[in-house]
Amino acid sequence: MSDILLEFEGLAKSFGGVRALDGLDMSVKRGEIIGLIGPNGSGKTTSFNVMTGVYSPTQGRVRFDGQDITGLSPRKVYEAGIARTFQRSRLCLPLSIFDNIMIGNHARVNNGLWFNLMNRRGLRQQVEDGYAKARDLVAGFSSNLADRMFDPVGALPMIERRRIEICRALVSSPKLLLLDEPSAGMTHDETAQLMDDILAVRDRMGDLSIIIIEHEMGVIERLTDHCVVLSYGKKISEGSYAQIAADSEVQTAYLGVD
Amino acid sequence: MKDNTTKTGWLGLPPLVVGLGAVVAVVIFGWQFLLAESELEVLGLVALAAVAGWAGGKTGLTGSLNEAMRGHGRTMNGAIMIGLLAVIGLLSEEHFPLLMLTTMLLYLTVGLGLNVQFGLTGMVNFAGAAFFGIGAYTSAVLTTHSAVPPLLILIGGGLMAAAIGFLLIVPVVRTAGHYSAVVTIAFGVLFKTFLEVNDVLGGPQGLMVDSMKLFGWDFNDGPQLFGIEMSFYVNYALLGGGLAVLAFMLTQRLERSWLGLALDSVRLDETASACFGVNVVRAKVLAFTFGNILVGVAGSLYGMMISFIAPNSFTFADSLLMVSIVLLGGLGSLWGTAVAAVIVVLLPEKLQILQEYRFLLFSGLVIVMLLYRPQGLLPRGVRQFFPSWRPQR
Amino acid sequence: MDIGLLGQYLANGMMLGTMYALVAVGFTLFFGVLDVIKFSHGDVLMLGSFTGFTAYLGVLAVGIVNPWLTLVAILVVSITTTAALGAVIARYLVLPLKSAPPLNILLITLMLGTALREAVRLFYPDGSNPKAFPALLPTASVDLGGFALRADSAILMAAGIAVIIGLNLLINRTRLGLAIRAVAQDEETAKIMGINYTMIVLLTFGIGSGAAAFAGIMNGLYYNEINFGMGLLLGLIGFSAAIIGGLGNIYGAILGGFLFAGLQTVGAVALPFASAYKDVFAFGVVIALMAWKPTGLIAERSSDRV
Repeated sequence: MSDILLEFEGLAKSFGGVRALDGLDMSVKRGEIIGLIGPNGSGKTTSFNVMTGVYSPTQGRVRFDGQDITGLSPRKVYEAGIARTFQRSRLCLPLSIFDNIMIGNHARVNNGLWFNLMNRRGLRQQVEDGYAKARDLVAGFSSNLADRMFDPVGALPMIERRRIEICRALVSSPKLLLLDEPSAGMTHDETAQLMDDILAVRDRMGDLSIIIIEHEMGVIERLTDHCVVLSYGKKISEGSYAQIAADSEVQTAYLGVD
Repeated sequence: MKDNTTKTGWLGLPPLVVGLGAVVAVVIFGWQFLLAESELEVLGLVALAAVAGWAGGKTGLTGSLNEAMRGHGRTMNGAIMIGLLAVIGLLSEEHFPLLMLTTMLLYLTVGLGLNVQFGLTGMVNFAGAAFFGIGAYTSAVLTTHSAVPPLLILIGGGLMAAAIGFLLIVPVVRTAGHYSAVVTIAFGVLFKTFLEVNDVLGGPQGLMVDSMKLFGWDFNDGPQLFGIEMSFYVNYALLGGGLAVLAFMLTQRLERSWLGLALDSVRLDETASACFGVNVVRAKVLAFTFGNILVGVAGSLYGMMISFIAPNSFTFADSLLMVSIVLLGGLGSLWGTAVAAVIVVLLPEKLQILQEYRFLLFSGLVIVMLLYRPQGLLPRGVRQFFPSWRPQR
Repeated sequence: MDIGLLGQYLANGMMLGTMYALVAVGFTLFFGVLDVIKFSHGDVLMLGSFTGFTAYLGVLAVGIVNPWLTLVAILVVSITTTAALGAVIARYLVLPLKSAPPLNILLITLMLGTALREAVRLFYPDGSNPKAFPALLPTASVDLGGFALRADSAILMAAGIAVIIGLNLLINRTRLGLAIRAVAQDEETAKIMGINYTMIVLLTFGIGSGAAAFAGIMNGLYYNEINFGMGLLLGLIGFSAAIIGGLGNIYGAILGGFLFAGLQTVGAVALPFASAYKDVFAFGVVIALMAWKPTGLIAERSSDRV
């Protein structure tokens, strides 16, 4: 088994005339936390969307865990072991915490028509198993939340919703977790709590790799093993947080001065 | 753990007692309502129902009823079925009330099918009357031109609706929102125009439909029981009731399953669903086909019951009336659909002054609903797999 | 086929295309500013032609017999009333639901269309029967090699095309048009730039509805008949045309309108069995087009941000 989990090779994506990704090379090792940073519009979220099959790339390849996943549908990518959260929370607000997490578990249950309509006993067993799994996951974040598994998500504050989004992504035991600006819309304290949660998750999940997009440099400094800096769809720098923070090109990209 | 058996509810009564009492009350009400002759009587009963509904909401009756449905699902469902049989039995000699009741039950089946498509999956089907018509025309052709047993024809009507629905599958699944709406609206209009210009299917004059027959027993002969000759509509009411109960059970099971979760998830966020491994195309095809089958089977039986069909019974306005049932009841709310089917079908039949104005009345009602109470008359609760199951840990 | 018949089909197709384009432009304007479909548009058109008809009866009662004067009165009354109605619908039914799911506005306007249709049928004097719309235009014709082009058809078509061009200039060349396009592009930014958002939305709905009234009068003058149900099919055709063209794109709407008229004409000419199937054929093609290009021929800008 190779040490490299994910690899981009000259990945490019254009929208009309705009090159959102322009020949990006990047690799992620097993168990590594990568920070993906760069100014707005530098192609960070686009790289997530291309990776997860929401968009197919104009050029280049994505290799994941030994297989080529370029251009696969989002469902196939998910089944291959990549799960994500979204920049703007995309939970199903009228559904319960339990239901939202079970959406992430969808590929692992029996979706047969006969089973679902006629075998209520079998379904009951699967639902109870799913409940045990979901509750354990949620309890790892907040025991308060674990007691409210049947409440609709719409009634919860932002930090709890972020936690549930992460649980939904983790329930299928992915190999790679993509976090798109988890601190968005949260206070400083809430962000700090969520970072503790993410580190705890990583400790529990063994060799889970994480790519995190973040504007809060404190978060990046605390969490990441390695950073990649994008600007105009290209990688302009990479290395540890200390290295990229000292890189003059990175400062130029952010501040726009020479 | 079931701890709700000891809970007391409305007026200090146990929920099951409240629930069974409510079923009895609804049976008596339905019986009297269907029999009521004068407009004054009907208006009085409507007012009574409105007051009871309002007071029930205020005094916690609704909560108690929910509790009964949750904790004693089986008993309550059994009671409701017996109640339906009781209404049919009480009206067994009355042609017209039974016809209305059966029509309502068939529209309920239609409403459930459309609710799976619209309420659960978010695909509005503006061609409900067309799929209903496909079922009815299938009955007309097969009862008069083939020796297929009528019970199979019912299933055939559903399969035919599903098959023609498959012609629309590609555009319906690939498009979303307004683009998808135009596909079904165009199909609804196309279907009616097609019937009108097609001579083989009777053109604007329509077709005769032969009756339902089961094991040599013709549904158009009134059954005899204890020497009393009953209305032949008893047969249709029983079959229609069975169909509605089956449709309700299947729809409820679908909603409360992994598939139902997938449908909800597709409705609420298609992109996110796909990113979490939900097969969006399969979910949409399943919901569309499931709904069309229910609508088609109901149309098929409807054709046999009224024994004569014409394109004018399957217009776009009728499709909108069917969508109104779903909207008035509440998106995704199955009991809401039942209540709305009663209102939309029975009210104009009982109040003849309204008959002429019914499209105006219900379109106005839906406009008011959408503005002030978009969740419907009986809003859907939070989705659950097993309502009686509350893990304690 | 002889040249005369071909010319007849062509002229008829052009006429229908102009009417459909006028309706489709309304749909696309509303979609442009608010991202909504106002399905009652066809029935607003119907109401426009009934208002025009009522104005005609009024003018007749006053004793004016000059057809041009009558025509002007019909157009002014019908277009202003219908434009006002469009703005009222926008203000009280569409804007209040702006933050609700987008389909709710489609549903509420579908219901409104039914309500308008039924109201005319039930409450307009003898509303359930067709009304004979007066022929006010000169009917002299010129012979174009076996095909007689009637003056009234030529005038109607020229006027319709002039209105379409006028609308296009209004949207693309005037300050009002600039404001409408700004609102269509980005509501928030337009507000910051000092544009009176609500006013622009109401004006847009007024303009679109006025264009529909014009199409309604055109329809009445062309067929010399109006009825309460005419709006449903015209509205659906206008909606389909706007959709095939690609919502929010004014050229797409015009293209879609003429395309649909072309399909109907081809359906009438080419289908060997019966020309009665022309609408079935046209809608069938619309459905097939949606399967092929799910967001129209000129694709709508994607709005789903992931």
